[in-house]
Amino acid sequence: MFSDISSLRGLTLLSMPATEGPVFTREISSSFVNQSDRYKSSDRTFNRQYAHIYATRLIQMRPILTERAQQKWGHSVPVRRLCDIQMGEQCCIVGTIFKYMELQPSILREISEEHNLLPQPPRAKYIGQSDELILEDELQRIKLEGAIDVQKFFTGSVIVVFGSEKNDGKFMVEDYCTADLPPQRNRPDLCKDSFVLMVSGLGLGGGDADSLMGLQLLVDMVTGQLGDEGEQNGAAKISHVVLAGNLLSHNTQGKESLGKAKYLTKKTQAGSVEAVRMLDEILVQLAASVPVSVMPGQFDPTNYTLPQQPLHRCMFPLSSVYPTLHLVSNPFQADFDGLRLLGTSGQNMSDIYKYSNMKDYLDILESTLRLSHLAPTAPDTLGCYPFYNKDPFILEECPYIYFCGNAPTFQSKLITGADGQEVLLVAVPEFCKTQTACLINLRTLECEPIRFSAFSTEDEEGEMDISH
Amino acid sequence: MDDLYIDNIDEFVYDQNKIVTYKWLSLTLGVHVNQAKQMLYHYLEKKRKECSASQLHATYLVSGKFQQNGNTCHKVTVVREDQLEDTKSKLIVTASIHVYSIQKAALKDSSPLFSTDYDIIKENLDNCSKYSAIRCAIATPRTSEEISRLQSLAHVTTPVSDGQAVTSKPSINGDMSATKPVSQQAKGIVGLFASKTTSKSKETSKEVKTESKENSATAAVADKPVNKTKVPNNFFGKAATSKSKSSAQDEGKLIKEETNSQASLSKEVEKQSSNSVVKPAPDIKEELPKNSEVPPKKTKENKIKTKRLEHSDSENEKSESQKKKRRRIKKPQPESSDEEVIPDSPPSSSAKTSLASPHKEVKKEPANSTENTSNVRRRKKRKVLKSRTSRDEEGCIVTEKVYESESYSESEDDFSKSNKTQPTKSTASVKTVTGKKDDEKKGHKKSPASSNKGSKQASIMGFFQKK
Repeated sequence: MFSDISSLRGLTLLSMPATEGPVFTREISSSFVNQSDRYKSSDRTFNRQYAHIYATRLIQMRPILTERAQQKWGHSVPVRRLCDIQMGEQCCIVGTIFKYMELQPSILREISEEHNLLPQPPRAKYIGQSDELILEDELQRIKLEGAIDVQKFFTGSVIVVFGSEKNDGKFMVEDYCTADLPPQRNRPDLCKDSFVLMVSGLGLGGGDADSLMGLQLLVDMVTGQLGDEGEQNGAAKISHVVLAGNLLSHNTQGKESLGKAKYLTKKTQAGSVEAVRMLDEILVQLAASVPVSVMPGQFDPTNYTLPQQPLHRCMFPLSSVYPTLHLVSNPFQADFDGLRLLGTSGQNMSDIYKYSNMKDYLDILESTLRLSHLAPTAPDTLGCYPFYNKDPFILEECPYIYFCGNAPTFQSKLITGADGQEVLLVAVPEFCKTQTACLINLRTLECEPIRFSAFSTEDEEGEMDISH
Repeated sequence: MDDLYIDNIDEFVYDQNKIVTYKWLSLTLGVHVNQAKQMLYHYLEKKRKECSASQLHATYLVSGKFQQNGNTCHKVTVVREDQLEDTKSKLIVTASIHVYSIQKAALKDSSPLFSTDYDIIKENLDNCSKYSAIRCAIATPRTSEEISRLQSLAHVTTPVSDGQAVTSKPSINGDMSATKPVSQQAKGIVGLFASKTTSKSKETSKEVKTESKENSATAAVADKPVNKTKVPNNFFGKAATSKSKSSAQDEGKLIKEETNSQASLSKEVEKQSSNSVVKPAPDIKEELPKNSEVPPKKTKENKIKTKRLEHSDSENEKSESQKKKRRRIKKPQPESSDEEVIPDSPPSSSAKTSLASPHKEVKKEPANSTENTSNVRRRKKRKVLKSRTSRDEEGCIVTEKVYESESYSESEDDFSKSNKTQPTKSTASVKTVTGKKDDEKKGHKKSPASSNKGSKQASIMGFFQKK
């Protein structure tokens, strides 16, 4: 653990000045390879319908699910298409889930005049008692009933169900199965401890001074200015820093400025300009000392739909001269010495949170991993680009570290898959609220939170909820 | 090591009443951070021994392993002196303790500490890690050659992808600019310091779009290789490229360009769709980047017709760099809105038409064509409200106000004002019109130039036109 490493050396700083200060060399991950090419947008034609995503998603996942079904229920059970099923026959069907929710906001209902409805206020969760699950494939759809928990699923997940069709046309589910974890490469053997620091939700421009002090402490610690020799030595083992989204606060996207016409906001500077300047200054301090990967988030100046494109380097004139600054997309996938890391800035997880009954971000992480899909609710409730040929959110290789940014609290867990895969799930909390960052040890796949505080005496009021 | 630093710290704390943090001390005195921490400790001890009733307050940094609810974390915290022991006792293992800062007054919260550090870092942004304890071998700033090389690589790759995208859609001006929030390239900022010859290709989208627009443009438009002329805006000083983007964006119009005998730049168009959000360039407030960009830019084929009215953006007033190039119609007579896409009513055009429209006239005298880089004369074409008289069927002279295109040269602004006409009545047989009629005829030749603002007001000078 980091704190153990940091305490290895004695305390030396409450003493007379020494002749020379110690200098440690940063451990550089010998191969950091950014594998996020699939998330880079190639062309930007928005002419297409979004239905193509579902079609290609189903086509890509059907073979995987068919194999899982045969593994689970034997080869004798037929896997049928919806148009081929016969009443009463036990079979498996593969399809996309559609969850019908009464409370789901529907733009058509809102603007429809015949109902005279006021727009629905935003809620934390849109699930209700009367929700139903419907399975769709290329041609038909069928309502699902039975041994399937309605609230656990959400629109867009592709699963295979085992059961039979009843008289009334509904499908009685006896069992179901998801694609589970995709295959994983062999874990490389690292001899030295090497850490990756993950932070998200910096919230610059939000006007919160406390988090700025915490952020300064974080930067100082990572760059080796803070702390005693032991801690500086430990900090030298941090080989990479990942900023997972929401670098700017949502205050910079003030509603007034977004809604106003351009000619009225002519002379006013956007709120994000000052915040980006501050971010650039922070990045230059970090980039001068450690490789940094910057992911955009929900409130950052990049496109809204997933996959979000990297922030442009012209916004960072001071720090973009450093080759250690990597501006990456959201979702982000990279290999650290052969160890795959994959994660998002949290928009997909918070979207699923709204449409299912799961409260724990770790559970949501796990369920998306088991569904083998990064953002199943896209494009239904989560904005995404109208893909046509392939769905880049399908997980083809299992990562070793799977994270999401901007979670409410820090959580981490190690899970294993059916074929022996092991994944460390990390829910990175928002720094502006919790002053907490995560350190992941690449050698042991352990995750430790680091808390920063200044002048707060009794602040440990159970804010942290760490479950291992 | 000598103890001069004691006196230094003394001076900082007491005389200048500063908050001396270890980082501030390290950057000010140029010492390693750990030494700075030790210096602070030494000073503190000394002062405490000397006068116990000193006004010194110190804050400490404590870090270590902390356990709460069965979960461990690494805690890093800055505490006041009175909280030091308390915090230390809560930690399972203490990783480090050192003096964080010394100051005369007691601090209530951490914002002064933060601002001290913030200020000193801002001054030393390029060597903020010089005195830190960790060195990273790969973290050295790129040289400008590398940057330009990277930019040229990026430039080569992007046109390919964009071309397909753009031609497949009907290009909508607003759409394109909206989807390219990052069209302004870092080269704009880098280009400021080392004039880069590569032009970034985000404008390729613009380019391609302009090309497609070109194709759809009216047939009258001859397809000549066009170059942009330098804008006669030199007197506004050096322009930052970033500003050019903003100003180009301000205009919000696609620009039609015309041939120029000299090599010209093509960046204007590119800049156009940029987004003003991404403007971190440190406060370069000048406009007219075009001047600085003229030499290194490559020529492009750009003929763009724009229909969009100006987008407002922050530096709209100073939008001299907008180049509205109008296509010069071969036919001498001014048509109404057919060729002129922008109904550029003189009052509204304000600064835009002013210097920013280099304009080449096909029938212009050769003298004008050599004026490319001069900023004195520009042939411009404008839509002007003019009165035209004609005879009615009843035999009355009818005067009508009509928008006509008129060419004028900047330098000749004395006689320009005449073109603003008064509202006329149909049966009026005002002779004042005749003077203006003469103007129209001269419109294509060296007509009286308008004022820089382009607004013509009726004046007595209208009677004294150049013949």
